[in-house]
Amino acid sequence: MTKEQFLLQLKKYLSGIAEVEKKEILYDYEEHFRIGLENRKTEEEIAESLGNPKILGKSFRIDAILGQVKEGSRAGAIWRAVFASLSLGFFNVSFILGPFAALAAVLIGLWAMAGALGLSGVAVILALILEPLFPEVIRLGGINIAFLIFASIGVSALGLLAAIGMVQLSKWFFLAAEKYIKFNLRIIKK
Amino acid sequence: MNVQFKKGVLELCVLVILCRKDFYGYELVQTISKNIDISEGTIYPLLRRLTREDYFNTYLKESEEGPPRKYYKMTEKGREYKKILLEEWNRFVDGVNNLIGEEEVA
Repeated sequence: MTKEQFLLQLKKYLSGIAEVEKKEILYDYEEHFRIGLENRKTEEEIAESLGNPKILGKSFRIDAILGQVKEGSRAGAIWRAVFASLSLGFFNVSFILGPFAALAAVLIGLWAMAGALGLSGVAVILALILEPLFPEVIRLGGINIAFLIFASIGVSALGLLAAIGMVQLSKWFFLAAEKYIKFNLRIIKK
Repeated sequence: MNVQFKKGVLELCVLVILCRKDFYGYELVQTISKNIDISEGTIYPLLRRLTREDYFNTYLKESEEGPPRKYYKMTEKGREYKKILLEEWNRFVDGVNNLIGEEEVA
C-alpha cells in the first residue's frame, strides 16, 4: 500500500469523526510517513508496519464516541452515541437498540399516564363550569359538587406527583443508558 | 499475545518512556516497536486518547531535516497516572512470578 492509499483508506474509516479531529489524526500519520521516508524507508514498508487502516479507524471512532458520551449534554449525547455505535456496525441491532427502545417506550407511557392524571382533574373542573352553559353536552347527573371538586384536585395532585417521580426516573434512565453504552463500548474496544 | 493485555501494557510503556523526555510520534513508535511486536499505527490512537485525558501536552518544534514535528510532553497529571499504573504493574508481575516460578518452556 502506498502512502496515498493508506491515508485515503484511513480517512474513509474515520467517517463520523469531527472534521477538525479527522485532520489532526491524518496529519499525525502524514508526519509518520514523512519522517519514515527521511529515514530511507519505502512507503510500502511504512504502511505495512503501521497496520490495518480499518482497525486504526475503528480505534479512533470508539475513542471519539466515548469522549462524546462523557462530555456532551446528557440526553443528546446518548442518542448520538446509540446511533453512532449502530453505525459502526459493532452491535447487532437487537442487542443495543432493542432494550433501549423498550425502556424508552415504557418511560413515554408512564409520562403519558402522569399527564392524563393531571388533565383529568382539570377536565372535571371544566365540566363543572361548563355544565350550566351546555346542558345538552355535559351531564354530571347531579353528583355532589364538593365531591367533584375534591376528586379533581386529588387526581391532579396525583398527576403532579407522578410527573415529579417521572423526572427522577428519566434521569436514572439516562444515567443507566450512558453506563450501558460505555460498558458495551469498553467490551468491543478490547 | 492477548490484545487487551497488550493494550494495557502499551499504555504503561508510553507513559514511562514519555516521563524520561519529550518525543515526537515517529520516534516514540520506533522506540516501542524495537522492543515489542505491535502494529505501529496503534500508538497514535493511544497518544490521542492520553492527550485528551490531559496526561500529555503537544507542541510543534522545528527539525533539522524539514518541517516541524509534533512533540508530546508529560503533564503532572500524567506523572501521577504513570505512578499508579507502574505500581499496579509491579504488583502484577510479582504475583505472576510467584505463581509460575522457574517453570521451563516445554
